Amino acid sequence: MQLSPEASVENQTAKTSVRDIYLPPERKKISGGGVPHVMAKNFSIYYGEFEAVKKVTADILSKYVTAIIGPSGCGKSTFMRSINRMNDLIPNCHTTGALMFDGEDVYGKFTDEVLLRKKIGMVFQKPNPFPKSIFDNVAYGPRLHGIRDRKTLEGIVEKSLRKAALWDEVCDRLERNALSLSGGQQQRMCVARTLAVEPEILLLDEPTSALDPKATAKIEDLIQELRGSYTIMIVTHNMQQASRVSDYTMFFYEGVLVEHAPTAQLFTNPKDRMTEDYITGRFS
Amino acid sequence: MSERPVHEHIKELSEVLVWLSDKVLQNFHDALRAVRHQDLQSARKIRMTDDEIDLAEVRLEEQCLAFLALQQPVARDLRTIVTIIKINDDLERIGDLAVHIIERMPELGQEVMDRYEFEKMGNFASDMVSKSIKAFVNRDRPLADEVCQLDEDVDVMHRLVFRKVAEAMKVEGANTEQLLAVLSVSRYIERLADHATRIALEVIYLVTGEIVRHSEDTFEKLIQSLKD
Repeated sequence: MQLSPEASVENQTAKTSVRDIYLPPERKKISGGGVPHVMAKNFSIYYGEFEAVKKVTADILSKYVTAIIGPSGCGKSTFMRSINRMNDLIPNCHTTGALMFDGEDVYGKFTDEVLLRKKIGMVFQKPNPFPKSIFDNVAYGPRLHGIRDRKTLEGIVEKSLRKAALWDEVCDRLERNALSLSGGQQQRMCVARTLAVEPEILLLDEPTSALDPKATAKIEDLIQELRGSYTIMIVTHNMQQASRVSDYTMFFYEGVLVEHAPTAQLFTNPKDRMTEDYITGRFS
Repeated sequence: MSERPVHEHIKELSEVLVWLSDKVLQNFHDALRAVRHQDLQSARKIRMTDDEIDLAEVRLEEQCLAFLALQQPVARDLRTIVTIIKINDDLERIGDLAVHIIERMPELGQEVMDRYEFEKMGNFASDMVSKSIKAFVNRDRPLADEVCQLDEDVDVMHRLVFRKVAEAMKVEGANTEQLLAVLSVSRYIERLADHATRIALEVIYLVTGEIVRHSEDTFEKLIQSLKD
């Protein structure tokens, strides 16, 4: 099957800009949103000789939710992890092309990785609370960034837990070990821990794959709550989840960004045959 | 490309739709024939067949709704199911037209059917439905476009009947009840062609993903008609 030579937001919607395309009523346009927050241009990621992500050109729009879908090994997680340089931890991983965040080169010589990861938070597939109290988990980031005042920390913890829709469930047991929480609560606490350092972007790497339907629904509701305040990217294998929670969807296949379009368009009338075959389960 | 059981299911639903269209069109032809021959027994059968059509329409819709709920289709699978639901609705309404024609039977007969060439008009409109269903089966956009263009021909036939009836009404002692029945039957056949056109437009949506039902052209026409 022939891949599209290059699938950026621009060339997927030749006449109309992606930003002008109608969004369904439940996904109203966000005022102040829609400007490119992350911009990739001919961006490739290599593991040694192997090109895992191939010359991706795309704009991730601010304050909207972008879902990344594609079969296992297609480069979707690799692409997302490159945005806050999580791939730096992998030996022999290097990049070519440009990746810009807020107009700054992510892989620039003078980029402060710690500051970058403060601005671009990440939540992983499996909830990973530290073996500490709920309070200490959420206060961990702010403390790392030098906040010591108890009152200030209490304010941050409450605000973050409220934003993560967990406050009402844990407000009377903040000193309990975070490991005592249920899986779904642990994952929302991880979101709160990420929000505590006031990031601009939230990267969610299959955040519900280890959760039951009820906890999954809570995380999805949370994404809708946070939409408009943060730029959110979510990697998911669940097509319905991508269609439910995102405004834009990127489909990767063998490292190539095949299609990047508004979710409503991609799930009703995809432009690329390969996208269509993948989302309808016709992939052989 | 591998076909999954879920796609086999869509194929089955499509086959039910084609079966239903055959049944509906056969009933429509039978209705015109029954009127020509004043065949009361056929008229009863047509009513019974329409009940079967109604039941089949409800069953097919239920199956499509269950499919939507359980399989959550996307892209062309979603468009196919939505198209089946809409065409199913059109077919049920065509089924009702056959019964409406039968209801006009007492005022009509062979001579009237010949004078207004209703069977020719009916065959033309019913061919449009067959073509639109064929376009659905083969995902044939050009054939769907052709059906849309044929609609105007049926409109011309209907206007001709209208003029003939208007003239006949001016004659003293005109059988107005019969003439009103003639107008109704002409209108029913014209509606059959409208349903064929709607089905064709639904097929265009299925093939292209674009809803062309209320295109700019239609909007322009509406504005013009308001000005006129």
